[in-house]
Amino acid sequence: MKTVNANYFDGLSALQQAVALNIAQGQLEVRGEKLIRAEPLSNIRISAKLGSAPRLLNFAGGGHCEVNNHADFEALLRDAGVLPQSLLSRMEGSWRHALTATVLSIVIAIASFYWGLPWVANIAAGRIPDSVSLSIDTHFLDAVDKGLVQASQLSQARQKKLRKRFDNLRAMHGLPPHQLEFRSSKVIGANAFALPGGTVVVTDQLIALASNDEEVLAVLAHELGHVSERHPMRQLLQSSVVGLAMTWYLGDISSLLAAAPTMLLETNYSRNFERRADRYAASMLRENGIAPARLADMLEKLEKSHRGAVKESGEQPSRIARFLSTHPDTAERIRDLRGDGSRQ
Amino acid sequence: MQTQDQRFSFTGTGSEYFRIWIVNLVLTILTLGIYSAWAKVRRMQYFYRNTRLNESSFDYHGTPIAILKGRLIGVGLFAAYYTALKFMPLLGLAIGLFIALIMPFLLVASFRFRLYNSSYRGLRFGFVGSIKSAYVVFLALPIATLFTLYLLAPFTHQRIKAYQHNNSRYGQSPFTFTAGAGSFYKVYLLTLLQFILVGGLFAYGAFRMIGGSMATMPKEQIIFPVVIATYLVMIAASLLIIPYFISRIQNLVWNHTQLGAHRFSSTLSVAGLTWLIFSNFLFTVVTLGLFKPFADIRLARYRIEHMAFTPAGNIEEFIASEQQQIGATGTETAEVFNLDIGF
Ligand SMILES: [Zn+2]
Repeated sequence: MKTVNANYFDGLSALQQAVALNIAQGQLEVRGEKLIRAEPLSNIRISAKLGSAPRLLNFAGGGHCEVNNHADFEALLRDAGVLPQSLLSRMEGSWRHALTATVLSIVIAIASFYWGLPWVANIAAGRIPDSVSLSIDTHFLDAVDKGLVQASQLSQARQKKLRKRFDNLRAMHGLPPHQLEFRSSKVIGANAFALPGGTVVVTDQLIALASNDEEVLAVLAHELGHVSERHPMRQLLQSSVVGLAMTWYLGDISSLLAAAPTMLLETNYSRNFERRADRYAASMLRENGIAPARLADMLEKLEKSHRGAVKESGEQPSRIARFLSTHPDTAERIRDLRGDGSRQ
Repeated sequence: MQTQDQRFSFTGTGSEYFRIWIVNLVLTILTLGIYSAWAKVRRMQYFYRNTRLNESSFDYHGTPIAILKGRLIGVGLFAAYYTALKFMPLLGLAIGLFIALIMPFLLVASFRFRLYNSSYRGLRFGFVGSIKSAYVVFLALPIATLFTLYLLAPFTHQRIKAYQHNNSRYGQSPFTFTAGAGSFYKVYLLTLLQFILVGGLFAYGAFRMIGGSMATMPKEQIIFPVVIATYLVMIAASLLIIPYFISRIQNLVWNHTQLGAHRFSSTLSVAGLTWLIFSNFLFTVVTLGLFKPFADIRLARYRIEHMAFTPAGNIEEFIASEQQQIGATGTETAEVFNLDIGF
């Protein structure tokens, strides 16, 4: 008669008893030196195979057996007509399934990063109350006002004039009022950006770079394009989720490292976002009798100014400029905007 | 009676665990995270059942449904805190305060759940610590620590370990903890010295590399290199000093823990653990996370196989306690907040 060696524990003490297991007529027989126990198989919970970890046979009335001899035990179960393995255990044991699972999880990870996450962020961004997104703008400005940017050197009259033209711009297009903020910053240089609550920030350096107000307005229209589709809020949500996931996954030690890439992600919009903002700006500018080519002119100058900053003072500012640059693929966008303008 | 040390052994392997991990990961993704509770039970069972002492293995009895409930509460609390802090800092602060207030309670619940659901040789472990003492060690003392500028940190740590270990049971037998606060102060002090040493070396190196040019740079341009250098120091410190701290604390705690008259010992080496944590981190990043299951196995094996049990008599005389039912909410919530509350 075929038997399988196991250890038996009664559940009342830590006593370990060497036993031999056998299955006869739907009953499991446990035989040890001082022990004979027979239980119907229906009263025993047999743990599914889990790698080569011991399998445990728990008796309904207390006590259990620990089996390390997997091959013999499976043969015993097979002979008794018990299904030897669960589907899950079979999948966990096979390299083919593991490989499929690996490929599948990589595909899912990439797909959710490129499509799933933006889709969810878009829906969520539309549901965040204005009061909340406006308070984000306030906090952001408070934070950068302490070092990254300084108060604008522009005269009140000039600021007022630009604000007025900015208001006309968006009113013509049927947009609700938006805050326009002026700041000066050597670190980020000539730049403009929109915040999640719809506040648009423009630097003195950008205004100085522009040859006329129309060029400034062209950039502001582009930023309003981002605002109208909630790009800043969507970007904020996306990078928060990525940061959270990375912190969670890499664990405590490397949460520092996880923070770095999300900082980088936060400042760069996708090519798609930029193109949509350009298209929006082009139509807004045309309504106001400004040629979309003004935005193209401005993009060219911004590109040059950021490259110039590199040449002037070596490696360090170049990295900062690239780090904070919000407009990739400029050449292509300039071509599109000029093309758009000439078709007019 | 003089008896031989019995070493703990770990029989799990990376290649085996990788297959279990990846299959459960995909099932978790396909069920939008619901399956994670089942995956956790598989994971715990794999590690427990492959941990052996004196020919017998440990086992984990937590049920997926109990874990799922706890996980939902945990994720809810965490999501509320995280989003509120990002969008409405005041509300986030209020939620954080609320979490701090219920944390001792959750911790006790999680100790109970985890210990009650662990067994060795068919006998369950247990936890009998009172909620009142939990508020002292997990709330009052940490607040006092903050107000004494962390001078009380080693004392608080000692009290937490004493609370955990003195209130743990195996069957009906109590664990006892004998390490005093003095030995915790020693570990903390040596760790601090290393931190100053490593931090100082890095700062010196950074200064030499950038040289005097920093003094002539405009203020805005200094910020960036300084931020990067700070990151590097923190990462270096994490990889060099945290293993020292972990190994010294684990050794201290287990060398002063007893089960009845039986003793434990732990002999983790700093060099071994440093290499392990460093290489695990490196391989996990390089393989975009696919090395994670191998890393988990390596770390578990290292920690478990450097532990031993010194029986003072017949260990078969342990007897079972009256079993009780406890909810899973505690462990899961604490896990979301990344707290190591491991037994
Ligand atoms: Zn843009």
